[in-house]
Amino acid sequence: MNETTGETAHKGPAAEKAATAGPLRVLVVQPMYGGSLPIGRYCADALRDLGHTVETFEAPAFHGAFNALKGLRVTADRLEHLETGFLQVVSQAILAKVETFEPDLVLCLAQAPMSRQALRRLRRDGVATAMWFVEDFRVFTYWRAFAPFYDFFAVIQREPLLDELAAIGVENAIYLPLAALPAFHRPMELSPVERHRYGADVAFLGAGYPNRRVAFRRLTHLDFRIWGTEWDGDAVLARHVQMNGGRVSPEDAVKIYNATRINLNLHSSVQAQTLVTGGDFVNPRTFELASIGAFQLVDRRGLMDELFTDDELATFGDMDELVALIERFLADPDERAAFAARGQARVLRDHTYQQRMTTLLDFIAARRPGWPPRRQDAGFPADMPEGLRAELGGLLQRLGLPHDAAFGDVIARLRQQTGELDALETSLLFLDEWRKQYAAKG
Amino acid sequence: MLGRTGYPALPHGSEWATVAPLPEPSMQQYLVIQLARFGDIVQTRRLVLTLARRGAVHLCVDRSLASLARLVHPEVVVHEVVAHGAGEGGGATMLAVNARVFETLRQSGFDEVYNLNHSGLNLVMSALFPSAVVRGHRLVDGQPVRDRWVRMAFRWTTWRRLAPLNLVDFWASLAAAPVPPGEVNPVAVRGGGGIGVVLAGRASRRSLPPDVLAACLRAVFEGMGGARVVLFGSQAERPLARQFMRMLPGNVVERTEDLVGRTDWTGLVDALRGLDTVLTPDTGTMHLAARFGVPVQAFFLSSAWCHETGPYGLGHKVWQAECECLPCLETAPCTIGVRCLDAFRDTAFLRLLAGRPGDMFPRGMMGMVSTLDAVGATWLTVFGEDVHAPRRVALRELVGEYLGLFPGEGLTDVSLAELLYAEQDWMLPPPGQVMPC
Repeated sequence: MNETTGETAHKGPAAEKAATAGPLRVLVVQPMYGGSLPIGRYCADALRDLGHTVETFEAPAFHGAFNALKGLRVTADRLEHLETGFLQVVSQAILAKVETFEPDLVLCLAQAPMSRQALRRLRRDGVATAMWFVEDFRVFTYWRAFAPFYDFFAVIQREPLLDELAAIGVENAIYLPLAALPAFHRPMELSPVERHRYGADVAFLGAGYPNRRVAFRRLTHLDFRIWGTEWDGDAVLARHVQMNGGRVSPEDAVKIYNATRINLNLHSSVQAQTLVTGGDFVNPRTFELASIGAFQLVDRRGLMDELFTDDELATFGDMDELVALIERFLADPDERAAFAARGQARVLRDHTYQQRMTTLLDFIAARRPGWPPRRQDAGFPADMPEGLRAELGGLLQRLGLPHDAAFGDVIARLRQQTGELDALETSLLFLDEWRKQYAAKG
Repeated sequence: MLGRTGYPALPHGSEWATVAPLPEPSMQQYLVIQLARFGDIVQTRRLVLTLARRGAVHLCVDRSLASLARLVHPEVVVHEVVAHGAGEGGGATMLAVNARVFETLRQSGFDEVYNLNHSGLNLVMSALFPSAVVRGHRLVDGQPVRDRWVRMAFRWTTWRRLAPLNLVDFWASLAAAPVPPGEVNPVAVRGGGGIGVVLAGRASRRSLPPDVLAACLRAVFEGMGGARVVLFGSQAERPLARQFMRMLPGNVVERTEDLVGRTDWTGLVDALRGLDTVLTPDTGTMHLAARFGVPVQAFFLSSAWCHETGPYGLGHKVWQAECECLPCLETAPCTIGVRCLDAFRDTAFLRLLAGRPGDMFPRGMMGMVSTLDAVGATWLTVFGEDVHAPRRVALRELVGEYLGLFPGEGLTDVSLAELLYAEQDWMLPPPGQVMPC
């Protein structure tokens, strides 16, 4: 990866492991709500897949408390103060997590409830922080208020955003496009019932942004399904909207993509004067559909050429072209399959979340001297019986850790386990506790 | 969840969902609830015009201001409620009148309701409608909630010297894509009808004392070669009018018509139209003059701040007092003897008014000329030092970027972004929405 430009080179699978020495501890801080949530989960899975020890701060777990504030019936001023206090508690919870888990990196997704005060504290304490800002900086303008507080700031757009970030003191910004998680975004064999339930000639899955609402009116003569939220109030499209416009889970989304002959992928816009806006960033749907091996028609974007070639994605520049392409590709399943295969190959080669996380970690390692800091590790006892060593090897394999994993990393992974522990797991944790209690006292 | 326009909101916290037209725009019905004062009704103009382009606009005002509302906004349907002063019959009248109006409003099925005022009256009225269609101030299951845009404004009002937006533009931006600022009021041009003088505003500290005002009038009168003078004010200002007249020289008195407490709203508008200039503190009459393209020369001091409530449109001037303590709080006593008034006594200022500027500009004052930009109304400083201008301009650019009016460039003052945006703005859903559990 070019550290200066953030360009992702074409690397093969061998490069998927992080260039950083040894597994890292990464705390992924999820947003409370919104489109970044699944991205955060993909990042966590990818990091685990790379052999890192990952904890996720699941901010959505705090929904109940937030919603309870809404029902208080106090003054508006008091409500806003309470919301501020609530966010402070959540930030304090994140700091408590950092204190216990001792991560090498705190990775936040856009909208993560990481307060500026908490970020200042982490910077002071020398804990590396990064945000992957997976939003359109022109629409989501709040980045100006928090970007400088992160040590590293990854974005899905290039200029002028990178210049604007530099102007406000963000020295370590990197262009990092979105991706797919192949283990999740994968082809599936669907039953006839599932194909009937999820399939269509043409489908779109996503939110009812203004440009989409107007654009899709030209498609109502087709076997056309619309999935997702915020499509209510549109009499023309109503009969195409599935599940009463309810939320579609990521799992169902994969089935829908698999079952649909032509997946539409029209990037969103907050205005409806220009339906195909020709903006810059490429949305996650593009990568996910390709990873699944599903055929898509996607609108051309400014940053698409460096991510896909013309024969890897079928693209359109305006609605007339889209309509013509739908007709063409509905009549030619072989060409659909060929495009989908090429797109899939490209994603699997260059656009996985594992690769993005590797890129990000390499960038941090290159820009932050002495990172990650060496951990003092008490190590495993030197005189472990052979049988126990073999058992330990099996445990490491189960946990997805390398054979030479540090004692501390094994303990950190074990502490993530839920439910009952087996004898070896218990023994190792017992040893760790004993060391804390007695060895620390010298 | 619903967005700023009552249509489905966008994910990722965006509030700027202008959904494409559904039925024909003329079928859209909008209600604006404006229960504040004379000047506020006039300052609702840009919002009204914006909505009028998309459908039928209804305006709910206090009964005493209904005829004014019809004059200022001839394209709207006005609904009158008893909000300020129950009048004869007291509470019983209020209940009877309002219940009928509320039922009418409730049955109207408005697509969007713009509830503009931070008051218990407004909050209660908002409960007539589904909370999802109300913009501004509303009740959500009994909980008062301020929209994110309103919260942002409350934040920047803690730094009034940096006020980035005129009230007209703030209210208009509750709706998506407001009409261009230049289409709100006519360009003000002299009509040949002479000089209007507005006696006193709501708070006495914001108005020039009669002796100071008389000196100002004399200066303008001389500068215009003895023009006709018309006095404006409410019935309560009649004693002040008499006092004021006694302070004027005979040649001015001869040319002065005293309309203080003598006109209805129609008469007021008719009298304002065609004047050459209106001398006024920050008053509703000032806004009315601007509404009908009458050039204003406004005296802003004490708690009045032209960047917040200056006359809207092209062709106006504001003489804005400048002291470290301005703008102050109306309700807080002044401990320095209203020092901001001194600039208006300055002979340099009077020479300016008379059209004979000397070598020195008046101290403690900024001479401002109205102008417009992509955001709305703003002010050019012709003389005096506006030390906070760079930061105010930068904050205004941040606001413009947030409104989607233009891409922000080179906005390097992070502290202003921290002022404008609170962490709730990006960490939590828009106010009034719950998160799925």
